[in-house]
Amino acid sequence: MGELEIDKHVQYILDVEKKRDFESLLMEHIRMNGAYWGLTTLYLLGKLEKVDQDAVVEWMMKCQHDCGGFGGSIGHDPHVLYTLSAVQVLVLFNKLDMLDAEKVSNYIASLQNEDGSFAGDIWGEIDTRFSYCAICCLALLHRLDKINVEKAVNYIVSCKNLDGGFGCTPGGESHAGQIFCCVGALAITGSLHYVDKDRLGWWLCERQVKSGGLNGRPEKLPDVCYSWWVLSSLIIIDRVHWIDKDKLTKFILNCQDRENGGISDRPDDAVDVFHTYFGVAGLSLLEYPEVKPIDPAYALPVDVVNRIFFGK
Amino acid sequence: MSGTMAEQSIPQGHELLVQLENIFESDPLIDEVGFVPPAQIVELNEKADGLDHVTTHFWSKDHKLAISMEVLKPLLQAAKDAFTVACREYKEFANLPVDEICLDSPASESFTENEVMKHSKALLLLSCDFRSAWNSRKLVASRRKSLSLYMEELLLSKLILSYAPKSEEAWSYRRWVIKMIDGTFPNMQDILKNESKLVEGIAEKLKMNYRAWYHRCWLVSYMTAQQVFDEFNQSRKWAELHVADNCCFHYRRRLMLRMLEDYLLQQTEACFLYSSDLSVMWNEELYWNELLIKRFIGREALWVHRRFLAQCWIKHFVSLSSDTPLDGFLDHELELIRTCMHVGGDDFGDNEVHADLASAYILWISPQVTTDRGAAFLAKLKKSGDVNILAKSCPGKKLLLEDLVGNQSLMPRPIFPSVKTPLLALIPSSPSLWVSIFPSLRTAAILLLPRRTSATAYLR
Ligand SMILES: [Zn+2]
Repeated sequence: MGELEIDKHVQYILDVEKKRDFESLLMEHIRMNGAYWGLTTLYLLGKLEKVDQDAVVEWMMKCQHDCGGFGGSIGHDPHVLYTLSAVQVLVLFNKLDMLDAEKVSNYIASLQNEDGSFAGDIWGEIDTRFSYCAICCLALLHRLDKINVEKAVNYIVSCKNLDGGFGCTPGGESHAGQIFCCVGALAITGSLHYVDKDRLGWWLCERQVKSGGLNGRPEKLPDVCYSWWVLSSLIIIDRVHWIDKDKLTKFILNCQDRENGGISDRPDDAVDVFHTYFGVAGLSLLEYPEVKPIDPAYALPVDVVNRIFFGK
Repeated sequence: MSGTMAEQSIPQGHELLVQLENIFESDPLIDEVGFVPPAQIVELNEKADGLDHVTTHFWSKDHKLAISMEVLKPLLQAAKDAFTVACREYKEFANLPVDEICLDSPASESFTENEVMKHSKALLLLSCDFRSAWNSRKLVASRRKSLSLYMEELLLSKLILSYAPKSEEAWSYRRWVIKMIDGTFPNMQDILKNESKLVEGIAEKLKMNYRAWYHRCWLVSYMTAQQVFDEFNQSRKWAELHVADNCCFHYRRRLMLRMLEDYLLQQTEACFLYSSDLSVMWNEELYWNELLIKRFIGREALWVHRRFLAQCWIKHFVSLSSDTPLDGFLDHELELIRTCMHVGGDDFGDNEVHADLASAYILWISPQVTTDRGAAFLAKLKKSGDVNILAKSCPGKKLLLEDLVGNQSLMPRPIFPSVKTPLLALIPSSPSLWVSIFPSLRTAAILLLPRRTSATAYLR
């Protein structure tokens, strides 16, 4: 079974950036998210210095619009999903001073609705994922006072289901990805008392299937990316001792491409940056040696979060 | 070497884009698209006569369109470039004050608008989650405010969903259109009915499609009480044929909760519809679910559904009517799980899963029961020895089980201070408590303080 192929994964991420094939053309509109996934992985593996940070920042700043929001790539419309990724990358580089924090947070605050929910952009689609992006982003910028936190929290709570999980909007089906967003946002705002921890913990630990991997909802196949979403939620609500961590570690390690680097959703599938990040981040939560610890709510390395909030 | 060969045989991206857009212009009703190997295009072109379009890289007939996989990359690049230029120009028009637009030639604005619609369509066909392209169409549609255009937009989204059923942006676009026409469109109910049918068709092709079913759940808040009732009755057959599709059962839960909500709020129309029938309906759902559980061994989605039904039953219906006492209900459930733990059959694996699901179910509903009765119920469970079966299934659940049965209720096990105590209280007194825990669990309170008070000042 073997270990984590650190060097190969680092090389894989560095190479992805250079590729110009059809696949990369298809992914161009979410390049900002890709930058966050790739760079956070490098940081967790202790290899961030392999990247030309100035070049990345220069490109990123070209993705920002006058309104303050960031697009997924140069010339693409702004959206809270890419704005969070941009802020997270700048935090990673310790270059938050490049940013007009006031302007960015005004953009995010403008997306809050009367009921406390958040739209992803000016076109108004509402989703608890966008609540998380907004809250996480404002917290990193020390600007949570720009929004009505109480209403934001109440809206997230209104998306809670009887099984303890959360959906995109009230009445939406529970999904591990949405649960991470809701629980993460509640953790950041100090509102975890709204979570039914035992019920949700139960639902989350039932995501572990025979192979040791985790799925995102009942009857689904396991997938490496849920190692992150389920595990981070379980840690935040203090129920991570309800799953078998060793089996999960083995499952993730089995999804590595041992020849060319990268991690896939399931053993023997094609790798991508997204699952490489979630695999490594999952291992980090599992306290795998040689991987730096990651914070379960901010989805950033613990020492980076410490620097932001405690100046150290 | 092969690179140059390919470049010679494939026309420039721009030329391909013109060909594709011409096909769309001559047949706006194309309802299916496929991406096929180049050899198949040649074959199709040779075989068929009476083609609408004969080119080397496209094939189109009877509103179906095939595109050669060989040309996807140059085509996508060209569509992207053309879209970017057109969109930039159009936004300049859109940002101008109204009086300046009048001075300018209106013809050139409508020309640019047309370009945006043409190129964004080609682009979305190739890259369905290209958000900015969807946005450009929203900009055009919201400026034109034409009902027929909105209807055409629903068709485009449908075309893309036909081969990309999980496209988040295509689903989101439908919701945007519906929000725009809500209040102005005379036949909203028909729209909702069509949307619901569309989801069902797409869910048939790709199971457990979260995006599709989320869309259907989203529609519920726009439905009349009658429509909710009809949807509930109509979705039953589909669920029965797809017992592993938790999404469909969740949709039924969404509908049931809406009916319950309406009932509790005593809305007149709803009251007329369900009134006392609601508990009958709930009972029927429980009965139907039991039949399915016994027929299909080891289906998680069916047990998840039963958890919901039982939770609500205990909370809302048991107390309402004296002829459905709690003990009777619990005895019935206990009988059910006993049956499920000893099913005969060939597949040992499935039987085991079935038994696990059954014991997890009964434990799940036990905290719902009020304390004194709950204690008696758990004692009964422990005595029967049924819960031990669950302990085997995975070590994690064993821990969960010990928490539950050992303490007669699920006891929180606080490790992080923030989990138990409001953080604000912790800040001035004992910052050292935070040393071992994750930053996100200890920063919360600091973030909520006025910004000028820095975190470090508090910590010192
Ligand atoms: Zn995945």
